[in-house]
Amino acid sequence: MLELKDVHTYYGNIHALKGISLTVGDGEIVTLIGSNGAGKSTTLRTIQGLNKPKSGSVVFNGTELHKLPAHEISALGVAQSPEGRMIFPRMTVMENLEMGAYVRKDLTSLKDDLDHVFTLFPRLKERIGQKGGTLSGGEQQMLAMGRALMAKPKILLLDEPSMGLAPLLVELIFEIIKKLNEEGTTILLVEQNALMALSIADRGYVLQTGEVVLADQADKLMKNDMVQKTYLGVE
Amino acid sequence: MKNIRSGITFGIIGGLLTFLFGGWSVAVIGSLMGVGLGMGLSGKLERKNPLEIAKSVLPTALVAGAILVLLSLYQNNFVQEAIGKRPAVEKIVINANLIAFLGTVLFTTLLASLHGLPEKQEQRWKMILLGLLIIAFPFVDKLTALRWTAQIIFALIFVILGLGLNIVVGYAGLLDLGYAAFFAIGAYTTGILSSPQHGIFMNFWLVIWIAAGMAAIWGFMLGAPTLPLRGDYLAIVTLGFGEIVPVLFKNLIDVTIKEPLTCWILPGLFKLFGAKTTMACITLIEHEDLTAGEKGISPIGRPVIPFINYEFQSSNPIPWYFLIIAIILLSVFIIRRLRDSRLGRAWMAIREDELAAAQMGINPVRTKLAAFAMGATFSGFAGAFYASYIAGIFPSVFDFSASIIILCVVILGGIGNINGVIVGGLVIMTADRLFLPALKDFLASLLTHTVLPSISDPVMQLAVKDNANPILYRFLLFGLTLVIMMAVRPEGLLPNAQVRAELHPDETPVVEAETPKTNKAKKG
Repeated sequence: MLELKDVHTYYGNIHALKGISLTVGDGEIVTLIGSNGAGKSTTLRTIQGLNKPKSGSVVFNGTELHKLPAHEISALGVAQSPEGRMIFPRMTVMENLEMGAYVRKDLTSLKDDLDHVFTLFPRLKERIGQKGGTLSGGEQQMLAMGRALMAKPKILLLDEPSMGLAPLLVELIFEIIKKLNEEGTTILLVEQNALMALSIADRGYVLQTGEVVLADQADKLMKNDMVQKTYLGVE
Repeated sequence: MKNIRSGITFGIIGGLLTFLFGGWSVAVIGSLMGVGLGMGLSGKLERKNPLEIAKSVLPTALVAGAILVLLSLYQNNFVQEAIGKRPAVEKIVINANLIAFLGTVLFTTLLASLHGLPEKQEQRWKMILLGLLIIAFPFVDKLTALRWTAQIIFALIFVILGLGLNIVVGYAGLLDLGYAAFFAIGAYTTGILSSPQHGIFMNFWLVIWIAAGMAAIWGFMLGAPTLPLRGDYLAIVTLGFGEIVPVLFKNLIDVTIKEPLTCWILPGLFKLFGAKTTMACITLIEHEDLTAGEKGISPIGRPVIPFINYEFQSSNPIPWYFLIIAIILLSVFIIRRLRDSRLGRAWMAIREDELAAAQMGINPVRTKLAAFAMGATFSGFAGAFYASYIAGIFPSVFDFSASIIILCVVILGGIGNINGVIVGGLVIMTADRLFLPALKDFLASLLTHTVLPSISDPVMQLAVKDNANPILYRFLLFGLTLVIMMAVRPEGLLPNAQVRAELHPDETPVVEAETPKTNKAKKG
């Protein structure tokens, strides 16, 4: 479904991605784990078109994404719940969700999708008329995910959905991710919380300073010595 | 009690205004004051039976009316004498003050009591009343010989400019410091296409559309290369553009356009190979005075109503007044539709967070370009009207200060809010065009009859006389107003709900009408 081949991305002179290659199959949950600055978010930004790769290719269902601007990539069915959430702070929850559906041409099922988002995140329904900026961190995360879902994406890119959330909320968010996947959404998940991420993912990639150092089934990664030592904190 | 206090404030302000204008003005001021007071009160009251509301605001209305009339009578009997004018005829005084008192009381109670009706009906009746007042104003103005209409038209021109800039600054969040450039382009398009300058006399009804189109095209041309810039950088580019355009119009007095191939490229090539040829160079325009530079284009064609063949006259402002009201209504209609459209939502998303908007599938550059071009279109309308109304245009009118005044109209009125911008334009421009000149005359005659005779030194006398001219201090007063506004009410007179939410996060959030009840439970 999504394939990155030898992608190099730069921030000015800084070589952030040094030849990333990865694939995401239809219906999978794939996770990218790694420490700060490993290039996880940059990978997602490159897929989304917010950063352009200097070389290499990003192919999504046969379309070369690296040649398209960000807004056209969204229209193809790639939605992201970005790091730091990036919700529209002065728009209401409802307006934020409506913005998520901006690219959609079929508006008939809009109401159903809205209801779907509200079943996943009942909290959002309670806060429907409130400004995005006045929500709590967890609610903003829910809103960012709900907004991404409103685009009815073929693939959902989640950037650190657990960042800054209370443990209970983290569990809730991960349950929802799993549920979404069971409903048929392909998910590429970037996480620092490696344990949680690997426990729900099918496959995983370990990134270090812009390179893929390990790639395997999630359960095998979980047993890998290096992963256990570095990311799971097992002595 | 609080209502009574606002009644007293309104009464005093209205009364002091009569000091400046005198005569019949008290009747008009009283009626307008009643409308303002009624509108202001109705927002604060609880929704109940109209009759009860009327009863509850009646004391306020009576107090406001009484103070107004008292001050106006004081003006006529004492102040007039002090400034060396004769008091008005008794009959006029009685009638004017009677009308003023009744107008204040009637309009205050009427508008406030409308709040007792269901919301939709309240809105409709308020619109009808305001519409009638707007229609009646120029005729009342003519009857009372106040001559305010001509100045109000200037205010209305700035209302249109403010509405256009509001699209760019308020909706799309792009700071444009050179908006007067588009105003200039609209005005000069009109000037060039309907004046003896080039012997072209196009119909005004056609020219106004061409002017709007030209402004839009230039908005597009400026926007296309610069809109990938963000924030401050864009503001600087627009600032530069705003400076360039008036200078350009000032200097387009000797324009020669030659066709480049035969004039430069081919002869150049021949020269390069050592051949000596003279070619017949095709010249399109030679030494044409396009804009007449500093002395400006004048006169400019006026609108003619077809069929009855009535040409607008500069001596009669009433047709102009209705023309600009019509343009404003059209603009408000279009802008409201735009705001609620897909494009409007995209503007707001861009204003909030450009990156996130791109992720939602919005093309940022195209959306911003649309905002620039749409904003410029409305200033094209304003420019065409302005050129035709003044019947002369000069490059100095469109300098940086004009851009800033338009920006202030938007900021003072309430950024992002159509009604706010209308109020802002009216307040700023009537203060500038009506209030300050009247204040100048008032001060001048007051000084001549009180302080000046007691100053023996003629140099000193002259200095005092010259410096007591508030028009000299208009930018100072203007800046002071802005500083005070920013400190006291940064969201503007009639703020946009979103801006208010940002600046006053402690107030309860505004819940949209169509949404279900929000649960004010604890935050998660």
